[in-house]
Amino acid sequence: MVTQILDPTDERVPIKRSLTPRPEALHGTIALLDISKPRGDVFLDRLEQLLHERAPGIETRRFMKPTVAKPAPQPIKDEILEECDFVIEALAD
Amino acid sequence: MHPPTQFSLANAEGEQMQFPPDGPVLLALVKEDCDTCNLTLPLLEAVHRATEDGLDVWVAVQKRDDIAVLKDRHDLTMPLLDDDALDLSYETDIDTVPTLFLYDEDRNCTLQTFGFDKHEWREIAGESMTLAGRPGADTAIDWASLPEQRPGCGARNYEPGVYERLQALKSGDLLSRLVDLASSDDIHEFMYEQGYTDGFPVVPPTRERVWKMLQGTQRDPQEEVAVVPPNLAPITVEKIAINAVMAGAKPEYLPSIITLVEIACTESFNIHGVLATTMGATPVGVFNGPIRDRIGMNYLHNALGSGNRANAAIGRALRLCARNVGGSLPGGTDRATQGGPHRMTMNFAENEQASPWDSFAVERGFEPTDDVATLMAMSGGPATVADERSRDGRALAGTLALSMSCMQDPKSPMVDTLVVLSPDHAGIFGRSGWSKDDVRECIMEQTAIPLKDRLRSADAGCGLPPEIVERFGGEAALDTPVPKFREKSNIILVVAGSPAAKFSTILGGWAGGAYSVPTSARIGV
Repeated sequence: MVTQILDPTDERVPIKRSLTPRPEALHGTIALLDISKPRGDVFLDRLEQLLHERAPGIETRRFMKPTVAKPAPQPIKDEILEECDFVIEALAD
Repeated sequence: MHPPTQFSLANAEGEQMQFPPDGPVLLALVKEDCDTCNLTLPLLEAVHRATEDGLDVWVAVQKRDDIAVLKDRHDLTMPLLDDDALDLSYETDIDTVPTLFLYDEDRNCTLQTFGFDKHEWREIAGESMTLAGRPGADTAIDWASLPEQRPGCGARNYEPGVYERLQALKSGDLLSRLVDLASSDDIHEFMYEQGYTDGFPVVPPTRERVWKMLQGTQRDPQEEVAVVPPNLAPITVEKIAINAVMAGAKPEYLPSIITLVEIACTESFNIHGVLATTMGATPVGVFNGPIRDRIGMNYLHNALGSGNRANAAIGRALRLCARNVGGSLPGGTDRATQGGPHRMTMNFAENEQASPWDSFAVERGFEPTDDVATLMAMSGGPATVADERSRDGRALAGTLALSMSCMQDPKSPMVDTLVVLSPDHAGIFGRSGWSKDDVRECIMEQTAIPLKDRLRSADAGCGLPPEIVERFGGEAALDTPVPKFREKSNIILVVAGSPAAKFSTILGGWAGGAYSVPTSARIGV
């Protein structure tokens, strides 16, 4: 009778991550990340317009992944991290 | 065979006996269901009695329950040791019982033998008397009544199944975490509950099975083969072997599976994107070279379908590695909108013998004698192209072109498309004297339609955006023919299946960009 098997997984203990505390208000610079999916720009254009109307004083900056098929290059992630306070990512179409 | 230097085993009374004892010792390893062991046990008992306290005679029995049986059967008084766990047999690496080792008072093994050879046994019995301080004394053995020779029996530690278990437990090759099951667990239900399976049952990866699988490769079990997305987890040969067992693979498939994992995790193949895409792409493996027959792959009837263990298990093992080690789970990073049945496994060999051309691997720069695996990311299909009427290359290429023009949708240009030609269809091209490039050029020509027919419209939202017309030179270019495929090299031609009928298969690649490039590699050992 089988009593033991070998673990087929990578055996890594999942790392528990908590969300960053939700801020009271929008401020500073918001990164708008387009992942290069069709109509991502339409969604972000509208969102940017609404942000400027409803949260005057904030800055927006647009970013774009070179391809939808691969994770964002590290330089883009670093730039967003260093220069922006928030990021909104437009996912699939 | 390695004469043991020290060990500890329990005797029939359950007391631990430390080897070596003080003074000379004759050590034997036996099993109960061996005629030669039963022939020789009375001889060992005679030596034990004749040497009195001058020499120890210890007999290790390969099954615990047999100790009492042998003791009663032969009226034995010498110590019978319990090697039920086969620790001593494994360390000594005996393959035959009975095996004898004679040690002098300095603990040197001076004589050894296996089976029954009367000359050797007489020599050992005589030497035992000498070591006991009674040279030339009578052992009360009637040598004249004994046969000259009797072969021994296979030792239990080399029995099928037992050998693999011992290697798995003792070789130190396996380092993966052991998952304990309760006696009430149903192994198959347990593996489903742990999320280890792709929906079909898997073979439980016991240590014995995984060790046996690892015998299929010369690579070190702990060698890191690749880093598997999306979790970017390092995958060792051992982890691949575990998932290969689960997929139903045989040891001889392991080098192919390792090669597929290596290819999948290259930047060019981009397994992360292939398995994450909402379009539901999947790796499709094509094999070339002598390995196809060596491991019994199918390239004849139902080559793309079910019924062949190598075809099915090799592709499935890759998917299980991506799932269990890489962490690609449907609804997690696997975002396939619908997926397809070929996402379970799709892997086949080229019918090189039925191809009028160089094999797919030779076309890609390999030698005909190379064992080669190629992975391609395919999303659409498999779709059948039925053409039983065409008798020349141009007519058949036209049928293929019409069918291929609808891949993804009839307007959108495509990149890679895999055309798996049946031998009958490939033969038509061969008899027409057409090269692979002739077929590709004809398909490029026949799938080209005016730019205006590739544009989105109110009646069909697929296709190219209207503003693209400017890139082609404005409205004057609306009638310019635009091919379906970016390059003719995007039309991939492989021959598979049986010479049964004139049906071929097409599979559409992943989306419209070079997100994943068909990638080949030689299969290692």
